[in-house]
Amino acid sequence: MVNAFAYVPAVVLLPFVSFLVALGAGRYLPKGGAFGGIAATAGSFLLSVWVAATVAGGRAYNETVYTWAGGDQFELTFGLLVDPLSALMLVIVTLVALLVHVFSLGYMNDEGETGLPRYYAGLGLFTASMLGFVVADNLLMAFMFFELVGLCSYLLIGFHFREPGPPSAAKKAFLVTRFGDYFFLVGVVAVFATFGTAAFAGDGSFPALAEAALEGSADVWTPGGLELGTWLTVVGLLVLGGVVGKSAQFPLHTWLPDAMEGPTPVSALIHAATMVAAGVYLVARMYGFYALTPTTLGVIAFIGGFTALFAATMGVVKDELKQVLAYSTISQYGYMMLALGAGGYVAAVFHLTTHAFFKALLFLGAGSVIIAMHHNEDMWDMGGLKSKLPVTYYTFLAGSLALAGIFPFAGFWSKDEVLYEALVHGLNDPLLLGGYLMGLLAVPVTAFYTFRMVFLTFHGDPRTETARDPEPVRWNVKGPLMVLGTLAVGTGLINMVPVQKVFGLEGIDYLHRWLDNEWGGIAGLSSHHYADIGPYSSGYLVGGETGTVLVGAAVSLGLALAGLGLAWRFYNVASPTEHTAALGGIKDVLYNNYYLDELQVWIAYRTADIAGGADTFDQGIIDGVVNGISSVSLAGGGRIRRIQTGVVSEYAAMLTLGLIALLVVLGVGGGWFL
Amino acid sequence: MILEALIAFTFLAALVVLLAPDAWAGRLAFALSAVPFAGSLYAWSQFDGAGNALTGGTIAFESQFEWIEVGGRSVSWFVGLDGISLPLVVLTTFLVPLAIVSAWTPIDTRQSQFYGLMLFMEANLLGVFTALDFFLWFVFWEAVLVPMYFLIGVWGGPRRKYAAIKFFVYTNAASLLMFIGFMSLVFALGDSVSSFALPEITAAIANGGLGEWFGIAPGTVALGAFLAMFAGFAVKVPVVPVHTWLPDAHVEAPTPVSVLLAGVLLKMGTYALLRYNFTMLPNQASALAIPIAAIAVISVIYGAMLALAQKDLKRIVAYSSVSSMGYVILGLVVFTEYGVGGATFQMVAHGLISGLMFMAVGVVYNATHTRMVGDMAGMADRMPITVGILVAGAFGYMGLPLMAGFAGEFFIFVGAFGAPSLPYAPAFTALAMFGIVIVAGYLLSAMQKTLFGPFRLETDYEVGRAPVHDVAPLAVLLAAIIVLGVAPDVFFEMIRDAAIPVVEGVSADV
Amino acid sequence: MVPPEWYLLLAAGVFCIGLFGVLTRNDALYFLMSVELMMNAANINFVAFALYYGDLTGQVFALFVIALAAAEVAIGIGIILVLYRNFGDIDVTVPTEMRW
Repeated sequence: MVNAFAYVPAVVLLPFVSFLVALGAGRYLPKGGAFGGIAATAGSFLLSVWVAATVAGGRAYNETVYTWAGGDQFELTFGLLVDPLSALMLVIVTLVALLVHVFSLGYMNDEGETGLPRYYAGLGLFTASMLGFVVADNLLMAFMFFELVGLCSYLLIGFHFREPGPPSAAKKAFLVTRFGDYFFLVGVVAVFATFGTAAFAGDGSFPALAEAALEGSADVWTPGGLELGTWLTVVGLLVLGGVVGKSAQFPLHTWLPDAMEGPTPVSALIHAATMVAAGVYLVARMYGFYALTPTTLGVIAFIGGFTALFAATMGVVKDELKQVLAYSTISQYGYMMLALGAGGYVAAVFHLTTHAFFKALLFLGAGSVIIAMHHNEDMWDMGGLKSKLPVTYYTFLAGSLALAGIFPFAGFWSKDEVLYEALVHGLNDPLLLGGYLMGLLAVPVTAFYTFRMVFLTFHGDPRTETARDPEPVRWNVKGPLMVLGTLAVGTGLINMVPVQKVFGLEGIDYLHRWLDNEWGGIAGLSSHHYADIGPYSSGYLVGGETGTVLVGAAVSLGLALAGLGLAWRFYNVASPTEHTAALGGIKDVLYNNYYLDELQVWIAYRTADIAGGADTFDQGIIDGVVNGISSVSLAGGGRIRRIQTGVVSEYAAMLTLGLIALLVVLGVGGGWFL
Repeated sequence: MILEALIAFTFLAALVVLLAPDAWAGRLAFALSAVPFAGSLYAWSQFDGAGNALTGGTIAFESQFEWIEVGGRSVSWFVGLDGISLPLVVLTTFLVPLAIVSAWTPIDTRQSQFYGLMLFMEANLLGVFTALDFFLWFVFWEAVLVPMYFLIGVWGGPRRKYAAIKFFVYTNAASLLMFIGFMSLVFALGDSVSSFALPEITAAIANGGLGEWFGIAPGTVALGAFLAMFAGFAVKVPVVPVHTWLPDAHVEAPTPVSVLLAGVLLKMGTYALLRYNFTMLPNQASALAIPIAAIAVISVIYGAMLALAQKDLKRIVAYSSVSSMGYVILGLVVFTEYGVGGATFQMVAHGLISGLMFMAVGVVYNATHTRMVGDMAGMADRMPITVGILVAGAFGYMGLPLMAGFAGEFFIFVGAFGAPSLPYAPAFTALAMFGIVIVAGYLLSAMQKTLFGPFRLETDYEVGRAPVHDVAPLAVLLAAIIVLGVAPDVFFEMIRDAAIPVVEGVSADV
Repeated sequence: MVPPEWYLLLAAGVFCIGLFGVLTRNDALYFLMSVELMMNAANINFVAFALYYGDLTGQVFALFVIALAAAEVAIGIGIILVLYRNFGDIDVTVPTEMRW
């Protein structure tokens, strides 16, 4: 029998080959190497589906394939871990990557961009790195591909390197995520030092060892006699640093809006559907570890809830299409973090899945609008595009409804489950409840900014000449939009838990069963196991479980509709106005992102000042001492050499005096004169 | 005899090139320098060493001949390789041909002398890394300074004389200190050694052969010798605060010389530290672990902060070398398999990466005749391939995974974090690791300012694509960096083999 | 027999005259002559001690010194000629090229 798992390396390597091809021969190929990328991602996608089907057939895969560096202390290896979670992620990543490649034909090639081989090489390398990250079987390998993903992000954000903006945004993206990755790397090293392994799965994996150590049946290293639970919390928080950076959570979210300087398909692939998902995926991947440390979970939930609300408020006042989407991305990843922190492992993965589709859809839709608008992104220059771009409009609308969480679109189901998990677990945990309330507050805000965006872009009268006569888009733009539109509408079907609970229909929570290894998987990596070892217990509002489900869903849907309605009232008119004057001073604060960018710039400048001070110190004091020693010897020599007059008589006199001095010294010493 | 052949051939090649006409000295030197590289590859393929050469391991290509006798102790020609020295020999013979090719464009006067000195230096470097007799080693060690002095002093930039003299005097004074330290050790050993052979001395110290010397207790002698040698080698490495000769030397040295200076000469310091301080006197090193680790961390952070403040691209890379060498010191002092092994691996990795960076900056300089960050912008527009490789090299410097730098740094970090012999190891390691953020900061901002954005150049030069022979060495280096990053075990396996005895040298009761 | 102290006093006197000449005169020829005096003072000592000890070695050395002095005069005159050619004078304080 042909084993699908034997082809898992190919899933990763195919896009890598397309990277090499595009880099080496892209300029000789039609479309700058696009077809290679499309073929590679399509191949990866098909293989991923096959792999997922094999997992559904009851098998999983956890093998070390390559020893990167051997050692007696511990081996550093690369391996493949294919379980329900990674199989699902493989399918998502390859599908979005494939669609983005196709879309790029319309967005990059048709628009006459230069440097296409570099672009497709970047996409290929990115896809390969992301897939490598997804299938990683240990934390070190995950970190390595995590970093490569960051590199690709740098290369693609800075794609238009001849302009001043993109290189700066690329630098910021890499630096800010690098700051998070610093903590991640310390975490990886700490995991090795503590457990001697960084494997995710199996009996000897670090989550399993941590569990055993907490039960007292295993012994692990802790620094300086630190209490085990505390140390595990520290390690968890360290790794979380990388997650916060990559998934753009507060306070390391500032790079993501700037990253919109990159080409729009890149924004769709990297900054919405996959790279930013890497952080959340990492937490899900090592959830068996996080579930053991309640403090870390609380921090994750709180950061998530806060980011969800915080980013949503900034999205309200933005003028540019992609900026709104950027802040909504940050906000939505906040929801996923909230779910993970709240013990809602499945909910987080569910939201990750639906978000990947609807956010990719929204970005590609925005890309379509940007093509039509000749690369003008200001929503105040648009308006009335609904009739000119029907396909874009309706798919974009589907994505927006999903983002806003309107029944029955995909986003509704997943966001509802996230909030439900936070609620039932939060009733016994105030920190979590705080996260829930912030997440809930973000719902109407999300609906408001989403539909503000939709109405400003597509409704009303065209406000500029370009909007009256937009450039048409071709099949390669519409095709991906339609695929993603369908998914944004229908993905909710994979996990209709509320329906199951309310109507008692057993077995339609496919994603729950999938992640619970019902069809197959690896022991210890199931949602049940996570729930067992997790710290949470459920509490219910009036009416028990069903009542809580209904109340929760009704409240969040009601709030979403309220936000939508407000947006409708303000902006669904022929000539909308800003309506932000009412916000007063708050508007400036929101518009300037709470001045967090300024804060980071300030920090950067202060660091530069310190560096300048260090340089002055180095040149003045340390090198000054070195030069001082040399000056003193030179000056001393300069004095002494003056005896050397060059006059022979004086030399002779000196000789004589020396002789006499010697005689006197010897005489006194030898006692001749006594 | 292969090592003798290697060294003798290189000396001979230096002589031949010195006498060759300027017109084709460069090409001849490249052709001749390919031979030692082939030789070192052959040595690698035939390598049969096991363990550490100093602690009684099997020495590959061992050969020993009586030479002279000094004060009842014999000095011999004693060379050989183990898992620590072989990678450095390969690194040296690999970098020299590339550095020679990179000299073709910038060096336009006295070529035959330039290339002759380069080869002369290579021969001495090979001697440093293969010699197993202190006297022999010391001869090579000092002889390296001479060609370096002339290479900086004759072909250097405007302040070349200042830089050359500073380099020579500073490192020579350090050598004196180190020499005194080692000699006090030899005299304290008294009759328990009959030669200057390093394995014999190491064994004698390990067996408690140190006696009183002028009424000074053996422990004090060992400690004093350790400090003197550490101070002496620290200058060469260099670590803060004895690093200030390095930026001056780098800025004034021509590109190919910078490549060797950063790529190989700095490794002499860490190699000697590993051999003398950490292998011969492990217990002293272990006792001084906290101050040494503190020096390492300060070098990492302070060096990186200095790099952040620089405007000259070469100075940036020079200071970041100080920073990278700090990692090596940290790796050595923790006395774990991954720490010591990673430190050695990092020597090779940093040799390749800093070589690449200096070379790439040199190629840009050849075109623009400036290295100042403010003088140019948007170079990527004019030199896409060079800039592409420069960016890749910079990411290698930042420790991008699957490139050699990450492997070295990660080995060091993972070895250091839980190190039992270093108190507060996690704190030291975490602090040192912050260097990876600062390095990203200064390299990314320097790259953004010089390579990207709209093209602008303050000097009056027409910038076109670099010639193939300028870019080819860059590509070769990049390939080597990636190979070592993807498969670090090609070197790490043998390094580990030789590093484990060093780790085991620390006795448990200290 | 004259006691050796007298010879030594004579030699010391001659030596001091020579030394005085070397220290005070600027003229190279006087210089050379003074040096001759100093050497001859040494010769007197050699011969005196040879007589005192009844050993011929001292006399042999005196002969050596005389030969040496002859050679020295030859070279010294040569140097003086070169001095004259280069500086137009034989004043020893003029050529100070060796300074520093």
